[in-house]
Amino acid sequence: MRRTASLTVLALVGILLASMVCSITIGPASMSLSSLFALPNAWTIFWEVRLPRVIAVVLVGCALAVAGTAMQGLFRNSMADPYIIGTSSGGALGATLSIVFFAGIGRPIFAFIGATAATFTVYTIARQGGKVPVETLLLSGVALSMLLSAFLSFLMYTAGRSLHQIMFWLMGGFWNVSWDDVIIAILIPVGCLVIYFYARDINIISLGEEDAIHLGVNVERLKQLLLFVSAFLAGIAVSIAGAIGFIGLITPHVMRLIVGPDHRILLPAAALAGGILLLWSDTLARTFAGDMPVGIITACFGAPFFMYLLRSRMRA
Amino acid sequence: MKPVEVIGIDVSYGAKKVLEAISLNAERGEILGIIGPNGAGKTTLIKAMSRIVAPEGGEIRLNDRSLDSLSFREMAQQIAVVPQGTSISFDYSVRDIVMMGRHPYIGRLSSGTARDLEICEGAMRLANVAHLADSSVNEISGGERQRVLIARALAQEPKILLLDEATSNLDISHRIEILNIIKGLTDAVTVVSVFHDLNLAAYYCDRLIMLKERRVFAVGEPADVLTREAIHEVYGIDVLVKTHPLTGKPYILPVYGHAPGHQPQGGVHVICGGGTGSDLLYALHREGFRVSAGVLNLMDTDYTTATELGIPCISEAPFAAISAGARADLRQHIGSARAVIVTAMPIGPGNIENIRILEDYRDKPIIFLCGGGSRAFQDHTGGEAGAIIRRLLDRGAVRVERVEEVLRILRAAD
Repeated sequence: MRRTASLTVLALVGILLASMVCSITIGPASMSLSSLFALPNAWTIFWEVRLPRVIAVVLVGCALAVAGTAMQGLFRNSMADPYIIGTSSGGALGATLSIVFFAGIGRPIFAFIGATAATFTVYTIARQGGKVPVETLLLSGVALSMLLSAFLSFLMYTAGRSLHQIMFWLMGGFWNVSWDDVIIAILIPVGCLVIYFYARDINIISLGEEDAIHLGVNVERLKQLLLFVSAFLAGIAVSIAGAIGFIGLITPHVMRLIVGPDHRILLPAAALAGGILLLWSDTLARTFAGDMPVGIITACFGAPFFMYLLRSRMRA
Repeated sequence: MKPVEVIGIDVSYGAKKVLEAISLNAERGEILGIIGPNGAGKTTLIKAMSRIVAPEGGEIRLNDRSLDSLSFREMAQQIAVVPQGTSISFDYSVRDIVMMGRHPYIGRLSSGTARDLEICEGAMRLANVAHLADSSVNEISGGERQRVLIARALAQEPKILLLDEATSNLDISHRIEILNIIKGLTDAVTVVSVFHDLNLAAYYCDRLIMLKERRVFAVGEPADVLTREAIHEVYGIDVLVKTHPLTGKPYILPVYGHAPGHQPQGGVHVICGGGTGSDLLYALHREGFRVSAGVLNLMDTDYTTATELGIPCISEAPFAAISAGARADLRQHIGSARAVIVTAMPIGPGNIENIRILEDYRDKPIIFLCGGGSRAFQDHTGGEAGAIIRRLLDRGAVRVERVEEVLRILRAAD
């Protein structure tokens, strides 16, 4: 099992690198790697457009997947995800606040504050006597998400922004990405690393909070730390690309089936798979769908997957 | 220095008091049982001792150190807890789960040494789950999963093991298997365990703490704590406390409660012996009849039953014939009873007086309960007993086979 798991992670690294190379060459203006240095135009597209975009997409995918994995372990259920429990819409609202009132200054910080506030709000509402039941978690997450999205739309609309911009924050997209965003995205691996340090603790807390205390985990501190870092990751992701759904839901789930539930393997596997999944979704969006919000594509396969999970959960 | 000392703790959930002024201590290497009815605070006590809930007053000390002064890691190196059962959301293997018991010993960036693995394998062997090491915890049975949790606790190498009804969801064979494993550990480990089953508690525990309504009701050895009076007071039920014939420990037999409804009129006298009357005495007692019994020898099983049920009983020394005094008592009881029931006892010279006397009561309803088939009323008197019984039956005594028929006749006469 350990061996297959490590091999899977290696394979994912390979697939991710290949996908990045592949994605760079695909686009409205298709180009081959050899043409890069021949045509000045190709170099500009590569350096100014495709490369920062591909890097940002992969890192955002990692961030969402790692945040989702940590939340699923923490809440002991495989239906938690930063988008579903309202973290992303909190981040999106924070980002739009900075855009509407401060001309976009400190956008990632606002996004992070919004994401953290939303996460802790949902967590507090959903918590009943020390437990976080799935139903209340999902429902309060959805309710808060709707409320925050309404605020966001109201703000943007009254500030005279276009519907296209509102859509960007609600559904997510990468068409504005520049190297500045990539620089912010460097924080993502840092956050992922912090969570990885606590991989064994996540394994233990996924057995239940009381068991975790019995096994020597400082549960309250761990919960705060995980929620905080997950909100940090989701906040950065949102400030770069808006609220993209379902990456954090699907990748941990599928990877758990392949490499097992041990977070020491699961976290890196999910991070890589999140990058790959979002990269191909974005490539699809910009190449064949006139650069529509990538969240439309992730929702197209993510929402049915979510329904399938709900269904199988009810049967169990 | 005691492994565990609980000094006057109070615990509340919100405004509701759950434990009040609880003090206890566990000696090195003993099994201390916590018993008491639902809601008495047993589980909360375990939770307070493992820092899941914080007491408001008082103190908990482990090996002379206050529980609060320990870090979570230090606590997990001292105390391991086996919960009632854990639902595990993800498909960890048994080895993964048991290895989690080593968590308090392994540094953040390490994944455990060869020694940790060795301890983990040893714990699995001890809890008899080594053969399941690579199975998923969600694919094994409830009993096996409980043993996995025990293995995980053992992997913690604790000095103190807390069990919260760790066996109550298991069948009797698994319960005994697991409790035997735990009893085998007590050279190195002090065990504090919640028990629902008083008989298991009586057998496995060195001492018991009985809780009643948030407070300690009694503490001591099982034989001193598990008395009929204490159980009546704490659980509100009537029981018989016997001695287990093999273990010498107290053994609790519930008396399954009085039937509600009306109190039957008048008394019933039962002539029995050799255990033939026990079920009838119990049935009459349960139905609320005023019952008397005798004359019986002091060693007779029926005598023991009668006294345990609190039924007045005329008695004679073992192997002695019925004396004049006992005969007078018997006449008095028969005289005031509305019916006399004779059970299928063997009759010899020692007890024939019991039925001989019945011939003097012409109008008294007499019922012979013959359950026991051909062995009923074995005659060791050379025919005299048989003759008396035949005469009584000719005179209108009733002969029935089952206890229920006796009750029906008595109820019909009400």
